[in-house]
Amino acid sequence: MAEAQRPKRRPLEGVRVIDLTKIVAGPNATRILATMGAEVIRVEWHDQRALDLLRMVRPHAPGGDSESLNRSGLFNNINPGKYGATLNLSLPQGRDLLKRLVATAAVLCENYSPSQMESWGLGYDALRAINPGLIYLQITGMGKSGTYKSYLSVGPTAQGLSGLTHMSGLPEPMPPAGWGYSYLDHSTGYYGAMLAMAALIKRRRTGQGCYIDVSQTEVGILTSGTATLEAQLTGQPTARFGNRAQTGNWAPHGAYPCRGMDEWIAIAIQSDEQWRALIAAIGAPAWTADPRFATAEGRKANEDELDRVLAESTRGEERYDLMKRLQDRGIPGAIVQNAADRCERDQQLKARGYFVPLPHSEIGTWPIENFPAKFATMPVNVGGLPGRGAPTMGEDNDYVYGTLLGLPPEEIATLKEEWVI
Amino acid sequence: MSHAALLASALEGTTVLECGDARSEFAGLLLASLGASVIRLEGRHGSHSRHVGPFTTPEPNLEHSLCFSRYNLGKRSVTLEVDHPAARAAFERLAQNADIILDGGEAAAVARRAELYRTLRASHPRLIVCTVTPFGLDGPYCDLKMTNLTHLAFGGVMASCGYDPGPDGVYDTPPIAPGMWQAYHIACEYAVIAITAALNFRDLAEEGDFIDLSIHEAVSTCTEVAIPTWIYNQALVHRQTGRHAAEGRSRPWLRRTRDGRYVKAFMFWSGRERRVIAEMMTEAGIEHDLNSDAYRALVERSPSEAGAHFSAMIDRMCASMTAEEIFHRAQAKGLLWASVRYPEENLEDPHFQARGTFQPIAHPEIGRSMHYPVSVATDGRDRVTAFERGAPRLGEHTREVLSQAGFSPQAIADLTAAGAL
Repeated sequence: MAEAQRPKRRPLEGVRVIDLTKIVAGPNATRILATMGAEVIRVEWHDQRALDLLRMVRPHAPGGDSESLNRSGLFNNINPGKYGATLNLSLPQGRDLLKRLVATAAVLCENYSPSQMESWGLGYDALRAINPGLIYLQITGMGKSGTYKSYLSVGPTAQGLSGLTHMSGLPEPMPPAGWGYSYLDHSTGYYGAMLAMAALIKRRRTGQGCYIDVSQTEVGILTSGTATLEAQLTGQPTARFGNRAQTGNWAPHGAYPCRGMDEWIAIAIQSDEQWRALIAAIGAPAWTADPRFATAEGRKANEDELDRVLAESTRGEERYDLMKRLQDRGIPGAIVQNAADRCERDQQLKARGYFVPLPHSEIGTWPIENFPAKFATMPVNVGGLPGRGAPTMGEDNDYVYGTLLGLPPEEIATLKEEWVI
Repeated sequence: MSHAALLASALEGTTVLECGDARSEFAGLLLASLGASVIRLEGRHGSHSRHVGPFTTPEPNLEHSLCFSRYNLGKRSVTLEVDHPAARAAFERLAQNADIILDGGEAAAVARRAELYRTLRASHPRLIVCTVTPFGLDGPYCDLKMTNLTHLAFGGVMASCGYDPGPDGVYDTPPIAPGMWQAYHIACEYAVIAITAALNFRDLAEEGDFIDLSIHEAVSTCTEVAIPTWIYNQALVHRQTGRHAAEGRSRPWLRRTRDGRYVKAFMFWSGRERRVIAEMMTEAGIEHDLNSDAYRALVERSPSEAGAHFSAMIDRMCASMTAEEIFHRAQAKGLLWASVRYPEENLEDPHFQARGTFQPIAHPEIGRSMHYPVSVATDGRDRVTAFERGAPRLGEHTREVLSQAGFSPQAIADLTAAGAL
């Protein structure tokens, strides 16, 4: 093959990842590794400890067997590009097979309950004895050390403890609004992926593997911005600001209603020039001449009233039309897009290939959210090595146990009969 | 070398030139946390974030911004005016010795510099360029004006965050943008993922890449079930107070506590959870009927009424204890509950102290240190952190960096005279 035609090497070519993860935080980390070209093998089983509950979470693809573990659209979106194997780690034969897989792998990622792997005799120390270069990525709610090391957590737990829930919402006496989904499941996965890839770089230089203990709550603490610093400085507890700018005299700065049911536009005015442009964009209603709003300081000092009258002006507006008028004048204004907006009307997502149709062995071809960047050189593919959506339960058992571990078909059949795989 | 030290030095020997505005500063911070040498090229007036509060001194001062110091720990500062014609040769020389160019800002400004970056890559094929712009460098929306707030609106986060609607299903509160620069956090996390992938790729393929990252796409990926719910069910999720947005209404998670705070009582409503909550009530001396025949009959007759009754009993229990008491008691029972903390409350928490979550960074201007969250991981014993110093003073390293690049004192003086420094 001519040099120019040779397929590009994948960023994580030759990297095998054993994926013992569940729900979103761990699977999101391995999703990214698969997108970058690692061979990710999801290892699951049918009992409570090893079954990914996400397989049962709505929405499900329409039709089919309602009891199937292979029809969750959320699971499909979180786990594309991976191979799927079943393995019963409660049995000694299952644990032996896992060790054989680990011996061939560069990375193991797990987010079981904090001591589950040790209870199976599969903790880092045991696996390092088999594979000294192993990168063992463990994701837990609180971290693997410290006084809360045995505490249990999911995204909402970590968001509550870290401070992210408190910081989201309207000021007291309103309660926190928090995050309307498990933000820290997503972002913890990001950190898991970047740390695993950093460890791979280091391993290439030194030959050394490592153990990485990622705390979901610490991801929340890291992303709490300047809040802990300001509290140390002032001695005052962190407050909530709604949608308002936390520092500076930026106002108006919020979400304002538009015509229709629950339709809103976010507007962020950052200068007098933008304020004057906003006045023009909304047709210079009389209230904009109020001297209280003539300066940035005045607008900030009278923000309650400013928000009220601006909302009255935007309430009758068609949201896309208003957004266009604002943007035409250089004003940061954007509608609050819901999922339908992003899927059906967002021309930018469409133009950049954000939704990638990928086949799935049971539910057919569905759009999967892509990695949010374009690459000039590297082949980066959300469908990963298998070029498809999420694996069905045990879909690739023959590949994993036959091709990778070299077990003969009759032995694989016996393992299936004995409920090992 | 400890595993923590391995990870903290994973990018040792890697030089990053960080241009642009605050949109990509968190990515520079994360790269520095992995041992990269990050040179912040911020121009004579300083990074935008230097002008954003809170400030450690009563008056705004570009050396005393906590916003800047938060996102620029461990970097070196050079006052090169990247867009100034006289700076081009100096920038090119710095780039020849760099591994990564990181550039965040509006597409038009970054696109102008991107032409230079592409030219540089022709002669320096190992160079990795990562641009972080609102919508990427192409597409119909790429020139729209955006801020963190409008990204969280347009990317779909706000549509899932906020408060319950009224009894008529109509929202009288706006969608909420969670606190701090979370749109930029998400984008920067993805930027570092892309860069670490590119560093792996470079090890294999001996060439770098040009990464065109879109903040809008990054934020869009981070809305969990919203997109699959539309794709598979053609349905929208609706925001709810302090809990996940959903197609239908779910029971509250936030419970008011005796000390006027909140606990996040996240539940799957399993039988085990119900049993241990009843135990907690008994142990706390709360009278309840959850083990009575009458309650069991209610469960049979009307699960919905029984659930509402159970939920009301949880409220009653929570109102009898402080948030911290409930947090620890619930975790002792294996419940996924947490107190809703202010972020700074974790500073004094023995768990995070034991894990070294926060690192003291000297602030000479106020004569003391402040504690910064610096990473999300340990190696099971030691914190993964590479910061030996805080954020730089403006231009603190201009001479050092330019001298290392071979510029004589006279050449540096000439650059200054020409307005390039």
